[in-house]
Amino acid sequence: MNTQSNFWQYNKTVLMFAVVALTMPFWFPLMGGYSGLDTKIMIFCIFVVGFDILLGFTGYLSFGHAAFFGISAYVTGIMLKNFSDNIIPAMLVAVAAATVVALIIGLLTLKRTGIYFSILTLAFAEMFDSMAMSMLQRWTGGENGLTGLPTPMLFDLKMQGDTVFYFCALMAIALFYFAKRIERSPVGLMMKAIKCNQTRLEYTGINARRYKLLAFVLSAIYAAIAGSLMVVYEPFVGHEFLGWHQSGEIVIMSVIGGVGTLVGPMLGAAFMLYFENVMSVNLGEQWLLVLGVIFMAVVIFMPGGFMEAMARLKKRFFTTIDGE
Amino acid sequence: MAILDIHQVSLSFGGLKALQNVNLKIEKGTTHALIGPNGAGKSTLLNVLTGMLKPDDGSVMFDGKPLLNVNSYDINQLGIAKVFQTPAIFPEMTVLQNVTIPVFAARDGCFNMNMFEGRSKQRPLIEFAEQQICELGLEKHMNMMAGSLSRGDKRRLEMAICLANKPRLLLLDEPTAGMARHETEKTIELLRSINDGITKVIVEHDMNVVFSLSDKISVLSQGQIIAEGSPTQIKGHPKVIEAYLGEAQV
Repeated sequence: MNTQSNFWQYNKTVLMFAVVALTMPFWFPLMGGYSGLDTKIMIFCIFVVGFDILLGFTGYLSFGHAAFFGISAYVTGIMLKNFSDNIIPAMLVAVAAATVVALIIGLLTLKRTGIYFSILTLAFAEMFDSMAMSMLQRWTGGENGLTGLPTPMLFDLKMQGDTVFYFCALMAIALFYFAKRIERSPVGLMMKAIKCNQTRLEYTGINARRYKLLAFVLSAIYAAIAGSLMVVYEPFVGHEFLGWHQSGEIVIMSVIGGVGTLVGPMLGAAFMLYFENVMSVNLGEQWLLVLGVIFMAVVIFMPGGFMEAMARLKKRFFTTIDGE
Repeated sequence: MAILDIHQVSLSFGGLKALQNVNLKIEKGTTHALIGPNGAGKSTLLNVLTGMLKPDDGSVMFDGKPLLNVNSYDINQLGIAKVFQTPAIFPEMTVLQNVTIPVFAARDGCFNMNMFEGRSKQRPLIEFAEQQICELGLEKHMNMMAGSLSRGDKRRLEMAICLANKPRLLLLDEPTAGMARHETEKTIELLRSINDGITKVIVEHDMNVVFSLSDKISVLSQGQIIAEGSPTQIKGHPKVIEAYLGEAQV
């Protein structure tokens, strides 16, 4: 019995996320979310949770994670078009390709810290973007994007509508659980120690560089899975998948939600996609202005994002009760 | 038997000769103090021992193994820990997490991909970390953020971090710098209490600390060792008085 309650305690956030995610098709349309947006939210949840392993745990801010998202999306598209419309081989090859690229970029960029690391990752991502637009145009479709993809199949199952949503939601739950496990493992402790005091960590017998590389590659794998799922969700690859705009969006989602909390960035992703698509109907292009104001307000008044806001509310609520 | 053997080590920064043919043997289990005026090369020598600086010449052997061109983390894994001048801890982590890091480092080595292992399920290791914290008198702060500790407690925590992966040699870079009198006294007591056969090398300006702790003292001046001996020998050494104590007593 004790182990049962421990299990609940241990996996509370994951189970709560699972319930929210799996019931989404029922309540999300009531909020005005169009069908398919929920799938996109799940995909970006995967992207930002992975990104939080790098930014939230180790404190390394990458401005180039669109590279892994985009490369994986293109490889998935090319595989679906030319090899087989089954998504399993396509996704495996895509994630493997992005992982190899991440290893190389990680080895080169992690020699630097702070702003230099950010600029280097941005430079690498832009390099892949311009390659997709020029020398690789034959495969990527250049400015027009990669079009004419078949309907993706999961063996005999057509990946359309709710099937895609549940596929993405299950992936998101599994990957969130995985991230939580990492956070609670010795590896997670070392990664967080990198953010606190890297010199002390090295003088405590830990090879910080290898843990940084591990965090970088893991976050790239998450980005790659998200990129691949984007193509499953909508059989098209646009060149904006690789752009710096995409990288920036992930950073904004993470900051708004609360860096380092895993749950926060997912809230940030859901918030941004929801407002971008639902609110922009009312606000039009002004939406970006509103987002800018929200972003500044969060950074100035609440650097911990939504999670900090929630913690503050909870504290105020409970202290009044305690004060009775 | 010498646990640390520094042989003919030289290092220059541009034209400045920070260390010149330094020879030093540290005996196992002793407390060895390095003293000397500012800029004598004491901290430089410690940085050579921890792999932060590479000397131009010479060799350093620790328990029969060469230390030069070895990474800082590998040097720590060999059994050398360093206490910094300003306490180096993990401020945004709890005291317990701070000490858990070296405990896992001692078990897993410098890198391990155990991503699925629950830390809290490793009861013996966590208990060992808790025990270390208690031994240094920080049990009240177990779950406090390390950054919010007082300076003296930060020093204790750093000591706990260093001792948790059972080092054989402890390097201390001015452990009482900037401390009030009573905190210094406490630190002396603390250092004296660490005696599980751990060899200590201590760089210090406070003569009170040096003379009350050390078995042997080496005096560095302008990158060279000018005198070596027991505290009483050093007190009366003419060269030392000239280079260091004399200057301080004026």
